[in-house]
Amino acid sequence: MDELLADFVAETREMLEQSGSELVAWEADPSDKARIDTIFRFVHTVKGNCGFFDFPRLEKLSHAAEDALAECRAGRREPDSALVTAVLAIIDRISEMTDAIEADEDLGEGGDDALIAALNPDGEVEVQSDIEISDLETRSADTAKADDGNDTQKAVPRQGVQRSIRLPVDLLDEVMKGVSDMVLARNDLARRLREAGEQPTIDGPFERLSAILADVRTSITRMRMQRLEHLFSSLPRLVRDLSNELGKQVLVDFEGSEVELDREMIEMVRDPLTHIIRNAIDHGVETPAQRLKSGKREIGMLKFAARQSGNQISLVITDDGGGINVEKVAAKALANGIYSRSELDAMSEGQKQNLIFEPGLSTAEEVSSVSGRGVGMDVVRSNIERVGGSIEVTSKPGEGTSFHLKLPLTLSIIAALTVGSGDQRYAIPRSYVEEIVFGNSSHVEFAQAGDRRLVTFRDKRVPCLSLGEVLGSETNDNCEWESKTLILVRLASDDVFALAVDRVFDHEDVVVKPIAPAIMETRLYAGTTLLDDGRPMMLIDLPSIAQMRGMAGGVRTKAAPVEREKEVEAKKAVPVMLFAGLDGRHRAVRLELVRRIDTISRDAIDIEGDRAQAIIDGEILTLAGHDTGDLPEERCRLLRLSDGENELVYAVREVLDAADVTDDVVPSEADRNIEGVTLIGGKPIPLLDGHAVFSRYKAARKVDHTLTCRIPSDSEWARTILEPLVSAAGYRIASDEDEGEADLAIALAENTDGAGGVARETIRLRPDPEDSGDDTIYRYDRDGLLAALKRIRTGRAA
Amino acid sequence: MNDLLLMCTIAGRRAAIPAVAVQSVIEVENITPIPGTPDFICGLTALRSQALTVIDSSLALGIDQPCVSRDQRAAVVEVEGHLYAIMVDEAHDVGEARSEPVAVPGGFGDGWQRAAKGMVETDGGPALLVDIPQLVSGPIAAAA
Repeated sequence: MDELLADFVAETREMLEQSGSELVAWEADPSDKARIDTIFRFVHTVKGNCGFFDFPRLEKLSHAAEDALAECRAGRREPDSALVTAVLAIIDRISEMTDAIEADEDLGEGGDDALIAALNPDGEVEVQSDIEISDLETRSADTAKADDGNDTQKAVPRQGVQRSIRLPVDLLDEVMKGVSDMVLARNDLARRLREAGEQPTIDGPFERLSAILADVRTSITRMRMQRLEHLFSSLPRLVRDLSNELGKQVLVDFEGSEVELDREMIEMVRDPLTHIIRNAIDHGVETPAQRLKSGKREIGMLKFAARQSGNQISLVITDDGGGINVEKVAAKALANGIYSRSELDAMSEGQKQNLIFEPGLSTAEEVSSVSGRGVGMDVVRSNIERVGGSIEVTSKPGEGTSFHLKLPLTLSIIAALTVGSGDQRYAIPRSYVEEIVFGNSSHVEFAQAGDRRLVTFRDKRVPCLSLGEVLGSETNDNCEWESKTLILVRLASDDVFALAVDRVFDHEDVVVKPIAPAIMETRLYAGTTLLDDGRPMMLIDLPSIAQMRGMAGGVRTKAAPVEREKEVEAKKAVPVMLFAGLDGRHRAVRLELVRRIDTISRDAIDIEGDRAQAIIDGEILTLAGHDTGDLPEERCRLLRLSDGENELVYAVREVLDAADVTDDVVPSEADRNIEGVTLIGGKPIPLLDGHAVFSRYKAARKVDHTLTCRIPSDSEWARTILEPLVSAAGYRIASDEDEGEADLAIALAENTDGAGGVARETIRLRPDPEDSGDDTIYRYDRDGLLAALKRIRTGRAA
Repeated sequence: MNDLLLMCTIAGRRAAIPAVAVQSVIEVENITPIPGTPDFICGLTALRSQALTVIDSSLALGIDQPCVSRDQRAAVVEVEGHLYAIMVDEAHDVGEARSEPVAVPGGFGDGWQRAAKGMVETDGGPALLVDIPQLVSGPIAAAA
């Protein structure tokens, strides 16, 4: 509450300062509409705030002034100098009272009624207006002066109770820069100390210095932070005004206003946010009549939800309006020649919705005073992107639209990936990096179309750029793509391309500093940063490079799925990993079983008689597959297999590839270690039987026996809704491959043929809420279902 | 007129940089090259954890020959908030200007004409007064 009160005082004082010059101007010309509006807004806000804080006297004063001004605005009353004087007297009293509130004093003696009476058109003017006005004049002069110097000092509180000061952001920046430099200097010193060896007399104080510096850095960062509240507090007003203007009714709802964000960032998103709100109210929320017709509440809802996740803030703005009319957007894009019909047809619904960010699209049929003035969502997006954020939209026709904004916490520190190209290091903003793959990896395939290199990765053809070539240190002809590391870059526009670099070094948070205009002109770099050892490193400007190289042409260069049918087919296919066993023969194992691939030295493998174990990261794991052939002499590749609870490692000579088994698996009676043989790429490949491997090698660590549950695998409801519930209740979901008796099976009542497997207990679910008296449980009776699950679990465990 | 000038040699010619603008004279040790930039930008160097853009004064004048410098001396200047290190062949003393910068009939030659404010008389003879903002923006920008 105290904080809110302090905010109230600060806000009121700020508005007093701002309206100071307005007041004087109004005095000069009482009929000036614009001035009246400003002063009206001031007293109106004060009134609203007072009501909230329970300051009845302040509220009464501001209310009286507001009434009088409202009369003038409505044209029912001519503003004259008497009114001006009376209003000024009230505003002056408000200022006094604010000071008193801040100092926690009594609000002074009465006399309010006289001030209020003076507002009356017929009232006597008995206020000592001269003094007040001269007072106001000096104040406004001060304000003006302060504005010029860009150094708005808050009026010194009378009692000095409020312990806060206002600082120009420049100064904060300077301090921040100083601290960043100090950190770099410290790093340099640390390096030198390390080189010089251990020196207890110096190391101790140095560590203390480091700790202090870290604290200072945190405080400085916090100095720049502001609660989102400050941004949110101005929005209800904006929404109210806009909705009045457009004849709509909109409620606002805030969530997460305690989230803190860089002050400057708040200022940077203010405009884009305003624009989104305008759009939401103008295009999104329907008129009350339309809303009632479509069965919605008369009053529209605009929701703001902020959340901090890591070093990002996500801000979601949701309206419950009509949603984006995708057809209209598409038609407009077509009419404006931005996309062709076939391009539009190829787009997904989401892509079409995101078309609203394209330049030159506005779906409003009429250009209203509120939105559709040519400043489109494209500007919003570019503004958000400029500060390192991203924006996306999702929309459901008839239900509403959500804008998802992601913003970095601060402007100057960004998370970066340091990469090497040529002999140098560069930083790439991590927010664009989707994935990193090695060029020589087996599931990466290069293709050539004209002079353009393409890489096929995860069934998509993605154009390739070599950083070396972009920077001019090598040409595409002598580029060895296979030796490169590929960084898959996803731009905010959803365009994907691969950037080939020589090496990826590390993730680092870097302090970005601006670069000279002549370097900026290359459009290759977004800034510079210093490495720990003090060497400069350039920050690559990916969106700009993408644009120069035509990688960001919207859907045109959108990574095209290689073959659509293949994807559909792939859904049915079982993903497997191909490997060469120690005997050199190719085998496959279900990819789901493989948790990861380890490489260990031969020494870490211990085989004695029937017992074979491998040590990985201080863990002893059962080794399998070693009996098929000789172990390699130096390093050995191991597949770490997991059945969910137990792990074991399977020795292989080489990991070959990932593939999909689409053909049937032909079971083999002869070899019990394999599930069967299948055709992969036309060759017969034995598929390792996970069950046999685990049962034979009885994995080392055995966690408590988990109950298994069989659920109908053919029902989507069971997979998506039921499965998470059952797993949360502590059951393992038995897959179709799992033979043997499950502890429990859940069947749907409409499927009479059971759950397709053996189980000790069966729960049957019925689709209707009505009790049909056949021992079934209604499928959405969560409590009943959980109780049944618990009963069986405790019953079995006992 | 007795402004202080940093006397130096650029592309074999006597030149002067207004000393007020020069923060310090450093010996540039490590330069991180920046690919893709015009020739006259040698790269970045760090000075007390600040990055300086290193400018080859000779190339920046549009002269084909890069700076020939034994000790990589550079004058640190600030232009529009950015720090630059202007590499010169040789940096001498700080001297006093004995005259206003004046134009010379016939000009100073192509590159010099663009980036020199004029000729000043100094104790050691005439020198060309360098226009720093022109110099750091390079030959192309200066020509425009």
